[in-house]
Amino acid sequence: MRRLLVVAAVVFAGGCMEVEQASSPAKQAGQTVKRDANPWSNEPLAMGPKWNKGDRTSWEEQIKKRQLEQHEHQRIYQ
Amino acid sequence: MARMKFLCDAERCIECNGCVTACKNENEVPWGVNRRRVVTINDGVIGAEKSISVACMHCSDAPCMAVCPVDCFYKTADGVVLHDKDLCIGCGYCFYACPFGAPQFPQAGAFGLRGKMDKCTFCAGGPEVDKSEAEFKKYGRNRLAEGKLPACAEMCSTKALLGGDGDVIADIYRERVARRGSKGAEAWGWGSAYGQPPKGAQGAAPAGGKS
Amino acid sequence: MLLTRKANESLADQRTAAVQHGRLAQGLSSVLGKTIDRRAFLKRSGITAGAGAVLATSVAQLPFSMIGTAEAAKEQAGGKIEVKRTICTHCSVGCAIDAVVQDGVWIRQEPVFDSPINLGAHCAKGASIREHGITHDSHRLKYPMKLEGGKWKKISWDTAYDEISKKLIEIRNDKEKGGPDALFVVGSSKHNNEQSYLLRKWVSLWGTNNCDHQARICHSTTVAGVAQTWGYGAMTNSYNDEQNSKSLFFLGSNAAEAHPVSMLHTLHAKENGCKVIVADPRYTRTAAKADIYVRFRSGTDVPMLFGILHHIFKNGWEDKQYIHNRVYGMEEVKKEVMAKWTPDKVTEATGCSEAEIFNVAKTLAENRPGFIIWAMGQTQHTNANAIVRASNILMLALGNVGRSGGGCNIYRGHDNVQGATDIGPNPDTLPGYYPVAVPGSWAHWSRVWNVDPKWIAERYAPGMQAKPGMTVSRWIDGVTEKNDVIDQGPNLRAIFFWGHAPNSQSRGADMVEAMKKLDLMVVLDPYPSASAAMFAMVRKDGAYLLPVATQLETEGSATCSNRSVQWREKVIDPLFESRTDHMIMYQLAQKLGFADQLVGKKDGKQNIKLVKGKGGEEPSMEDTLREINRGAWTIGYTGQSPERIQAHMRNMHLFDVKTLRAKGGKDAKTGYDLTGDYYGLPWPCYGTPALKHPGSPNLYDTSKHVMDGGGNFRALFGVERDGVNLLAEDGSHPKGAEITTGHPQFDHVLLKKLGWWDDLTDAEKVEAEGKTWATDLSGGIQRVALKHGCHPFGNAKARAIVWNFPDAIPQHREPLYSPRPDMVEKYPTHDDVKTLWRLPTLFKSVQQSAVKEEMHKKFPLILTSGRLVEYEGGGEETRSNPWLAELQQDNFVEINPKTAADRGIRNGEYVWVSTPAKNVDGKHVRLKVKAQVTERVGPDTCFIPFHFSGWWQGQDMLASYPDGAAPIVRGEAVNTATTYGYDRVTMMQETKTTLCQVAKFQA
Repeated sequence: MRRLLVVAAVVFAGGCMEVEQASSPAKQAGQTVKRDANPWSNEPLAMGPKWNKGDRTSWEEQIKKRQLEQHEHQRIYQ
Repeated sequence: MARMKFLCDAERCIECNGCVTACKNENEVPWGVNRRRVVTINDGVIGAEKSISVACMHCSDAPCMAVCPVDCFYKTADGVVLHDKDLCIGCGYCFYACPFGAPQFPQAGAFGLRGKMDKCTFCAGGPEVDKSEAEFKKYGRNRLAEGKLPACAEMCSTKALLGGDGDVIADIYRERVARRGSKGAEAWGWGSAYGQPPKGAQGAAPAGGKS
Repeated sequence: MLLTRKANESLADQRTAAVQHGRLAQGLSSVLGKTIDRRAFLKRSGITAGAGAVLATSVAQLPFSMIGTAEAAKEQAGGKIEVKRTICTHCSVGCAIDAVVQDGVWIRQEPVFDSPINLGAHCAKGASIREHGITHDSHRLKYPMKLEGGKWKKISWDTAYDEISKKLIEIRNDKEKGGPDALFVVGSSKHNNEQSYLLRKWVSLWGTNNCDHQARICHSTTVAGVAQTWGYGAMTNSYNDEQNSKSLFFLGSNAAEAHPVSMLHTLHAKENGCKVIVADPRYTRTAAKADIYVRFRSGTDVPMLFGILHHIFKNGWEDKQYIHNRVYGMEEVKKEVMAKWTPDKVTEATGCSEAEIFNVAKTLAENRPGFIIWAMGQTQHTNANAIVRASNILMLALGNVGRSGGGCNIYRGHDNVQGATDIGPNPDTLPGYYPVAVPGSWAHWSRVWNVDPKWIAERYAPGMQAKPGMTVSRWIDGVTEKNDVIDQGPNLRAIFFWGHAPNSQSRGADMVEAMKKLDLMVVLDPYPSASAAMFAMVRKDGAYLLPVATQLETEGSATCSNRSVQWREKVIDPLFESRTDHMIMYQLAQKLGFADQLVGKKDGKQNIKLVKGKGGEEPSMEDTLREINRGAWTIGYTGQSPERIQAHMRNMHLFDVKTLRAKGGKDAKTGYDLTGDYYGLPWPCYGTPALKHPGSPNLYDTSKHVMDGGGNFRALFGVERDGVNLLAEDGSHPKGAEITTGHPQFDHVLLKKLGWWDDLTDAEKVEAEGKTWATDLSGGIQRVALKHGCHPFGNAKARAIVWNFPDAIPQHREPLYSPRPDMVEKYPTHDDVKTLWRLPTLFKSVQQSAVKEEMHKKFPLILTSGRLVEYEGGGEETRSNPWLAELQQDNFVEINPKTAADRGIRNGEYVWVSTPAKNVDGKHVRLKVKAQVTERVGPDTCFIPFHFSGWWQGQDMLASYPDGAAPIVRGEAVNTATTYGYDRVTMMQETKTTLCQVAKFQA
């Protein structure tokens, strides 16, 4: 789903380790960029990884699990 | 909370360009635009040749965001740096600011007009309805919205290119560094992008660490 | 239209293109400091033609913000989505791919993390394979075409079949200058197993042995040398098994470019402490990952190998017990090596220091088990049969062969070259290596085929059925050689290029002369290939192009390098008007009068049923595999039923990566129990499918029971020679064998002697009477042997001495065009041979005249050739894929900075590379390529990749291609300029060592 505005609070909550950058003149002038929906807000594909729609934690869990496919040890020493 | 990062292990990268064509395939990026690229340094020099796959690193303190005069960049909740092509004016400041040379400018027209900037999206699409045709046309595939990770990292021939949550990457990488008994210097670009080497890479090389 | 496609016309604004391209690299240089990139320099220079064309035609028509049109974005629109599992068609590693298909359109591709072979990984070719399914602006051959008045014209399939078959029959019936042997069929290692098998049958039913495929020019010397040493001509273990290895010695393989995904296993092994050694004239991408790199002179592999062996013997590092038990002739080899290959002689030949060679020897000796790994670097030499055998001997001396983690990992090239070698169109063997020269082979296969053997015999010209045919490397001489010196009735007058590029064959300049003389050339290929362009460059008529479906547009099995058989599901229907290879075989056979025989229809029985396909009926691939299962006993292609292999494909996750074995599990669809099976049932998988032999992951491995995939060396060469025992010594046998010493192969007599005859069922006895393990269609003899823990093919020693080869002990022989006349003097090549594979073959006369004409002075540099990761084989297919083509836009010559500086050549500029090869007008052949100035090669060597075609000695051949079907990237084919030279045993062409001169380009 398309969201035009996402409040800064969500960003801060999401990227707690990250610096929220606000150095550009446009940003300082209060302009807000169009933003994306969060990936976990989508319905999983019929043939693909599964998580509970809208549940960030379950999405992240499956993403981290899938990520281990990039580590051949996962498959070799299963 | 997951924080998306890339890491290319120079001890593993063989410049097969699998990441490059995986990106082309998944995002249908046009000829001449290279969101990802493999660069070899000291090409052909015995003992010194190293290859590295490079794209937008989705930096912690992204210089592109800092310099953009129209502020078209934003960072997603999971740390991916994206931009709005409807706002982009193609000025090229981001290219000059980027330490990785990631921004690409499809050019067209008789006067060499610069197009909207295009770059790696971490296969996260952009500010259009997720998985819509509009999103695909402007930004490419949204794999994150499908619960998948970037095609380049998922298809890397030697699993040199890692893409996903930074903590998980660091764990994978730490294990490799320990096995190799190296110093972890091969995680090229990580420090520039994220301000610190991967956790555990330094000093993770006890003698006889190989199994 | 898809933006990534490149049109062939128009030029772009150089300035903008140059700015835009190479941006990532430019940006990086500031970070990296020193960036010199082989690809970047070429790409930057070549982008003008590439991106320019695209930009001018496409990008300008779209808003700047768009990156692409959304062929793939249809996924959201609804419609049936299916996932088809297939195997990459670009090399022999066998990477699995999940193709996402919607309403018949291939919309996406996903990695198969479950595959025990590639674990989801892909190289540039595999990661871009979906492009084959994209129809917008495709460079495929779209419909049948005919060359008429110098132009390619569209024709119908019916017209094509009518005209081609009429011409073939006319040639066949020409009593004076024709006959069945006037046709040569160049088959393909890209055909799947079933198609390559059907093609061998097709050619036999036509009545000739004049057929061949890429294996001739890729690993024929390996197959011959290795089979003659220990039994089977194949990679002994798997890529995966390198994970169990302590040393990997790459001699003649650049796996990082040719088999990139194999490096996943290699680098994993390395991280676990395995030593990686690369010896190569070039510092390759693979060498960049090695612990030890040794540069040596191209073509001096025997001195290199025996130099290593010298140190091994000298220090007593050989495995004496192993040699005693399992090797014949090592003592004599040792004597010769100690006397002949002393360090000074080795240094003189190879250019390597004694310390370098010693270091390799010591590393190999201290890190066992280990592999020697090779590909074309060893095989494509005039002396290659000796080189590969020297490699075998080295591994035997170290006791590395026949165990996990050690042996000869011979990397095959094409995706099914192993399968096509095993059961495909070979001039000297029927499927399963049954020799054409032995009448029993024909009796065996006609029984399997359900065809009257007399009928087949009558299809052949008198006396020709038992005579091995010509080879693909020499077909040009079959056309142009004087009729009275060739060993068959007519000269070749018609040729089928059925999935084979001409530019992978040497002596291109001579090839166009042969094309001028042909009555008929038929190219059957998804792409018109360089054959079409070369032919149209010199002819006005006489050629037909038939569009063939790719392997992604059909189903069937393919055998990867490690002998695992994988099943491909059909991803999409054949595109455009193309038809499957097997449909074309059947339809042509209908015209030529042997369609029933092709599918085994006789006496109310039909072996292979016909199924509906796009364009008509075609033989069932599953039935064809079942027929193969019923006949290919020699190499154990009998247990791999379609049902078993398909169950493996559905359950990849059950197979262990290091052993390839399934610990347990059942297939949900069929209930088939996979427990104990090795992935893909690597051949030999003996007996009938019902016997459930698990396949053999590592050949000749005595540590396992034969029913667990164990084995031993083959008894193929008798039981003794000059009083010396050739069978294995007492105590050397597969685990659990009831015969604990060497024994000959099993046949009905041996079974009776052993008292095991009654283990056969009554039905088996009827069939087995008078038969051997290789001809008993019941499989009973194999079953009983295996039941007693014995290997059906006997248990013998490997041969360090192959007495039936010209050099019983491998000898170094200088290439025909050697840079070292002094070495030619010491190590001359063979004498000329009057008839070899039906043709006179020159050795010494060519070598001596080269010395006499001082070719080494006119052409003082060694020219070698090889692969790039982005392209495959002749390259027309991959150079038509824009995602790959963009990465390599120009052919080039790698030249050392000193060599370049001496000639005033600068990086990136065009040069002429000329060789001793001559055009018909007597002028030396020359190639226009870009100079890549790099230390990758030494000052004495130049390298040109071989995947390019479409330029001819400076001229673009675009006008000679059918409209819209020329590859995106064209360039000089190095093989236009390669010189004469063939292996003494197999007719392998020499492409790795010839001579050249490089000069600044002048128009």
